[in-house]
Amino acid sequence: MSLRSLLKGAVLVTASAALIAGITIAGILAFVFYHSDGGRSWDVSVSRVSSTLTWDGTDYEFSGEDLLEDGRWAILISEDGQVIWSFRKPADVPEQYSLTDVASFTRWYLRDYPVQCRVRDDGLLVVGSPKGSVWKHDISTASQLLHDAPMWIGGIFLLALGCVLLLAYFVVRRWFRQAQKVRDAARSDWINGVSHDIRTPLSMVMGYAAQMEGAADLPLERRKQAGIIRAQSQAIRDLVNDLNLTMRLDCAMQALRKESLQLEAFLRQIAADFLNGGLGDGFDLEMDLPEEPLPKIQADPFLLRRAVNNLLTNCVRHNAPGCSICLGARAEGKSVVLFVEGGAAAGIPAAADPTRQLESDGGAAHGTGLKLVSQIAAAHGGEARFYGGDVFRCELRLPAAS
Amino acid sequence: MAYRILIVDDEHELQNMVKEILTQAGYETDAALACAQALERFQAGNPDAVLLDVNLPDGDGFSLFGQLRESRDVPVLFLSARDEDEDRLRGLGLGADDYITKPFLPQELLLRLRSVLRRVYREEPDAARLGDAKIDWGKGIVRRNGVETALTAKEFTLLKKLWEARGNIVTIDALCETLWDGPLVGYENTLMVHIRRLREKIEEDPSHPKYLLTVRGLGYRLVREGMR
Repeated sequence: MSLRSLLKGAVLVTASAALIAGITIAGILAFVFYHSDGGRSWDVSVSRVSSTLTWDGTDYEFSGEDLLEDGRWAILISEDGQVIWSFRKPADVPEQYSLTDVASFTRWYLRDYPVQCRVRDDGLLVVGSPKGSVWKHDISTASQLLHDAPMWIGGIFLLALGCVLLLAYFVVRRWFRQAQKVRDAARSDWINGVSHDIRTPLSMVMGYAAQMEGAADLPLERRKQAGIIRAQSQAIRDLVNDLNLTMRLDCAMQALRKESLQLEAFLRQIAADFLNGGLGDGFDLEMDLPEEPLPKIQADPFLLRRAVNNLLTNCVRHNAPGCSICLGARAEGKSVVLFVEGGAAAGIPAAADPTRQLESDGGAAHGTGLKLVSQIAAAHGGEARFYGGDVFRCELRLPAAS
Repeated sequence: MAYRILIVDDEHELQNMVKEILTQAGYETDAALACAQALERFQAGNPDAVLLDVNLPDGDGFSLFGQLRESRDVPVLFLSARDEDEDRLRGLGLGADDYITKPFLPQELLLRLRSVLRRVYREEPDAARLGDAKIDWGKGIVRRNGVETALTAKEFTLLKKLWEARGNIVTIDALCETLWDGPLVGYENTLMVHIRRLREKIEEDPSHPKYLLTVRGLGYRLVREGMR
């Protein structure tokens, strides 16, 4: 995943989050503003109500009836707690108040009526609203909070930003994985299809070439040519198999069927099969196994066999008959090192040996065979190391079973 | 008596090639291009083994395998272009005797078919000859220069295992597995003792064996007639 793609995804998700947050805040503000009687808020009206109540020397004159909607009422309480003026006062609202009554309703409710108060020279003006129409609450907080507010707001902002970026990372990663999965499936289907379709015709090329190679009634030259066709068809078969498997390992589509393996027996069997199959004809295959038993390993025998076979085949293909190939293993710490060493070919100049040009990672430039060896080692939690120099050598380091 | 093999494959040309390979190797053959025809030929031809492709025009080889096995327990070898583990394991899991992936070498097909037939029909090898030594499998004796020597049970098993794979290397691990149903550990020297005694019975000069050869570091090989 590139930084640019990550940035793009992060910006997209952050913008989406910011948009959602903006719309939510605007919605909440609109909601609060609308439901607080926007402009006709009781906070505003209580002072206006007070200004419309005047004392003309004999009686109170009230001109603010229009300010109080239906259900709202007002009373004026004198310094000694007596109601001295009232407007639409409900019957259950008392005429006399003690100091504790006043302390209670100024903050909360008066007989469940939400009320607002305004201190006047002649007493306390109380404006009430219908029961259940207004929810009152009290907020008090330490002054320190105001000092700390910038730090808290900043911190919360950074936390929110971090969360959004993390979310963006996961979302973008998921997109990429899904896209990768689709691409992998398409690639896998294609290679699978091609390799399937090539197998049947290749069977016929290989089969007939092998028969011609063994036909006593054909001239020797023709039989040799048929042998070359047979050998090359086998190379194509190996290539198709390797290509298929390398792709499956690349796309993590190859399930590992691990078993506990005793390497000595496993390697001896591979070497015997290799020689029995006639693949090592003319080559001197030696085993190099320690006297002490090797620790067991947990490995997929099919895959590991494929890796070792690829290394042996590689030695045979790039060396002339007469050269010696060594297959062995040794314990090294908590790993088991399995190695194949193919000596320089007799009579072939060193520069002509393609294995000498191996890159340390056994890169694809040298075909899928060695790349597959690296992949199989990696799939087992190990690694493959390739060495050029005078003698081609590959080491598979695999973790020993605990 | 030649074994009769039914080849079920929708590729006509491949079918012809397999027929040719099997006929040359002394088998009788019968062929079918699809499931329905295969069932019909199976009932009519009474084959000893079936070579079965997985992809068929009117069904798949796995289902056909079940139908064939329902009517008669005959060895079946899948011969398929599908090489994925899942397919191979499915085929063998169903009870097939082998799963061969295309492309294959004729020799490979013949060896695997022969191995299945030998196992299923419990073929006893004919009397075997190794130079002057003649092995009578029925009696478990070796006759050489008019002298009869009895083989011990272990020597008999060892020789039979090597004879079945004659020409090929059999690893020391595989021999120990055959003799003691276990891994090599602890048995290597005992195996060498058995090999030495066996050589004394079959070789003219056991110190310079001509037939039972040691493949250093790997195992042993019984020389096939005409090969060294």
